[in-house]
Amino acid sequence: MEDVKNNSGQNLGIAALVTAIITFVLAVIPCVGLIAVIPGIISIILASVGLSQAARSNAPRGMLVASLIIGVIASLISVSQVFVAANIAKNSDKWPDEIQNIVKDVQDDVVKDLEDANISIKIESNGEKVEINASTQNKEKEQKLEELEGVNTQENDTLQQKK
Amino acid sequence: MILYNRKSNRGKGIIKKLSGEPYHIINILFAGVIVLVLLYSGFFSPEKDNYPVVCVHEKLTGEPCFSCGLSHSFSLIVRGRIEEAYEWNQYGMRVFLFFIAQLFFRLDFLRLSLKRPENRKQLIVYDSISSGLIFLISFWPFIASIFKGISQLF
Repeated sequence: MEDVKNNSGQNLGIAALVTAIITFVLAVIPCVGLIAVIPGIISIILASVGLSQAARSNAPRGMLVASLIIGVIASLISVSQVFVAANIAKNSDKWPDEIQNIVKDVQDDVVKDLEDANISIKIESNGEKVEINASTQNKEKEQKLEELEGVNTQENDTLQQKK
Repeated sequence: MILYNRKSNRGKGIIKKLSGEPYHIINILFAGVIVLVLLYSGFFSPEKDNYPVVCVHEKLTGEPCFSCGLSHSFSLIVRGRIEEAYEWNQYGMRVFLFFIAQLFFRLDFLRLSLKRPENRKQLIVYDSISSGLIFLISFWPFIASIFKGISQLF
């Protein structure tokens, strides 16, 4: 009786192996190494699907296992390119400077937002309500000062002239 | 008419032989990929500098990496300007030779596998070992840079 060869998952195995080997070569090249994680994941998915198909129909799994292993190693190499990038940045001292600039920008934005903030405090005790509204806006402060004094503050604030 | 039928049957037989074995399909696919790499190097010119592949490391850090200028180097090698190719990337030549060697390997192993199908398993083992070694020799500077990057951070 002739043995019937079951090829279930073999086409997926070929696709996975080719993708995994291409990923492996790409992952080692620093310029495109980080991007290689995408075909790496694709090869792992293809190999996994192929393996499940082969397991169901009891087909040979050698190529699928090989492509899965190569795909995983290639993806790990691809991810490790982050360390190469960090090393380049460490040697060049450019990256930390950029991060410092970003932190400084964020700090400036926060301080600016706080300067324009309106603060409202409400206190309620034994049926009595007290509400304090404070604004840090400089223009509002100037207006309030003018309202209180009823005159132009800039002219009267010169103490030396009065003497 | 009979001659045409014979040729047609022979062609179908070769296609059947090629598509029946995964090793043959993989060899043909890799040969195709290498031809595409060579076409890419020939199509994009170093003068126009219109390469679609950009360095991720340079984008992130602002500093060039070990493989920067590899496309330029390949294009110059294809055009026979070897000295300029070394100036663009000192490792360009060995990586280019890896691709050329692999193209010959794919075609030769395919031929041997078709000629001696009884030795196919042995061929696959030889192919894997030799290709792995050539890969290590050709890409060693890049592999070393990964190890260096990891070791310097820890």
